Amino acid sequence: MNKFAMSLAGLAMAMPLGAGAQEAPGTATKDSYRFLIVPKVVHPWFDKVNEGAEMAAAALEAQTGADIEIVYSAPQAADVVQQVQIVESAISTRPDGIAIDLLDPSGNRASLEAAQSQDIPLVIFDSVPPEGMDIPYIGSDFCEQAKMASRRLVEVLGGEGEVAIMMGVPTAPNHSIRAECHREVFAEHEGITVVAEGIDNDSIEVAQQQAAAIMQANPNLKGWVASDAAGPIGIGQAIIEAGKEGEVTLVGLDNLPEMLDMIRSGVADSSSASQPELQGYWSVMLLWAQATGAPVPDYLDTGNAFLTQENVDG
Amino acid sequence: MSTDTHAAANRPSALATLIRNPLAGVFVALTAIFAVSAIISPYFMTAYNLSVIARGVAFVGLVTIAQSSLMILGELDLSLGTIGGLCGVVSGMLMVQAGLPWGVALVLALMLGMALGLLNGFLVTALGLHSLVLTIGTAGIYGGAILVLTKGVAITGIPEGIQFLGRGDVLGMPVPFLIMLLVLAVALFLTTRTPIGRYMYAIGNNAAAARMLGIRVDRIRLLVFTLAGGLAALAGMLMVARLGTAQPSIGQAWVLAPIAASVIGGVATTGGVGSPLGAIFGAGIIAIIENIIVLFGVSPYWQGVVSGAIVVLAISFDALSRRYLRRDGA
Repeated sequence: MNKFAMSLAGLAMAMPLGAGAQEAPGTATKDSYRFLIVPKVVHPWFDKVNEGAEMAAAALEAQTGADIEIVYSAPQAADVVQQVQIVESAISTRPDGIAIDLLDPSGNRASLEAAQSQDIPLVIFDSVPPEGMDIPYIGSDFCEQAKMASRRLVEVLGGEGEVAIMMGVPTAPNHSIRAECHREVFAEHEGITVVAEGIDNDSIEVAQQQAAAIMQANPNLKGWVASDAAGPIGIGQAIIEAGKEGEVTLVGLDNLPEMLDMIRSGVADSSSASQPELQGYWSVMLLWAQATGAPVPDYLDTGNAFLTQENVDG
Repeated sequence: MSTDTHAAANRPSALATLIRNPLAGVFVALTAIFAVSAIISPYFMTAYNLSVIARGVAFVGLVTIAQSSLMILGELDLSLGTIGGLCGVVSGMLMVQAGLPWGVALVLALMLGMALGLLNGFLVTALGLHSLVLTIGTAGIYGGAILVLTKGVAITGIPEGIQFLGRGDVLGMPVPFLIMLLVLAVALFLTTRTPIGRYMYAIGNNAAAARMLGIRVDRIRLLVFTLAGGLAALAGMLMVARLGTAQPSIGQAWVLAPIAASVIGGVATTGGVGSPLGAIFGAGIIAIIENIIVLFGVSPYWQGVVSGAIVVLAISFDALSRRYLRRDGA
């Protein structure tokens, strides 16, 4: 074989390899990435998500040398109309990815479709995608998180007594799933009666008002569970104001500083906590992976922790 | 110098007439904010982004036209947002739960909005209450009715046929924006070219004097309150069409924003002054501010400060330009 033929053969062998290297999943690179984080509302729980996102950005910058910018854009109220407007405006800036906690999957669908039509990678955190939409999502097992709390309440009450559920934002999938799973656990125990359900729309103030009114109307109420992070903080304040500490048991949700203080002081028995920092961290990681063309899992579980006086500072 | 030449010399130039227009200040403020946004953000002037702004201004714009018309009359209706939300929810129930065709549901919900507006107007005129006070109460009733009907849960399964009204485009422009422009044209015709418009300004300036002139003050009030309720209902239903669900939160943002837009646009809260067109310019300023806050990635904790400061700048600019024009004209 002469040199020319050898060269052609070599080129023929090298071409598929070269082409393959370009198309291999996860090998696309850029000098900079800009990822958008859109929570449900301005809220301390989502600040922790943002902290996790910033952590991931710092890690990626250190490992890849690329500039990673995190843009945190939150609706001022838990209003799907505001959230849709933020997402639509954000699409105009052609970000490298959007991570969003949906207020309402149906209401958010059009804006998510608009992002997909412009090939902007998406991740949903702390929520589930609209039916039929292929979007990776991150979160803990919302149902299991709720069941950990409601089972604990049943245990503390000895399987008997009147209880109430705070529902959070009823249209938010994670909140409604948690509320339904609370109901399932209570329905398994004949001695437990759900006498009231409140809606706090993820507002501590509203939760406090709702809880105060419900305890006023149900003087035999023995316990509370919640479906969002703001709910148990408002409930705890209402318990303190009503002077019912030790009389009404609160098993809270999540790990906001006020929640941890309530566990330390004994206002709350315990809390079933998702891990917002991990959700923010892995949201950015999955967006980055999609931007590089890498395959990503449909669902990523960041797990739950159960906090009591014994381990709250551990 | 001949008389004709003298008259021509005293006739104000086209530019001077334009500057003396009461809408000049807010229009220049809107243009300035638009131009600055276009210069400093590479994303602002894209067709998609302009479409997002137009679609956003359409819904609050409809309520702004309603609120500014009431303000010209010297009234305020704080229940317009909840009327919009309630009619949106009722239209969703009529379409999904009662299975009515969307056209029928739309007409029925519009009639409900007009009836609720008429009720507000009737209570204001019959009881002699200030509309601001009365509509705080009716806003609570209508908002409470939304929760009673929905239990806080959105109504899904809205027919795809109606979604064109909220999501669709015609000639590259969002359908709800075109509907808002049509309503604005009708409102401007009504306020500037008909006796009803003249009566509205007369009542807003001095209701007692208007009554002495033979103007049927209460009838005009009832008419404007009714039309305002209808416009709020239209905004609510278009939002349902846009989202594809009837959300209980629809209308929550339509309480203060239309009043702010009207004031920015030169409509006096004391009545008798302003125009729905100026109010829409004001709504445009607010919509652009909301848009650029996202484009620039302003921290959510600073958004209120930034948007408030820009609104104060816009109002100050308008006030200063009016003062200048008064001095110039004196």
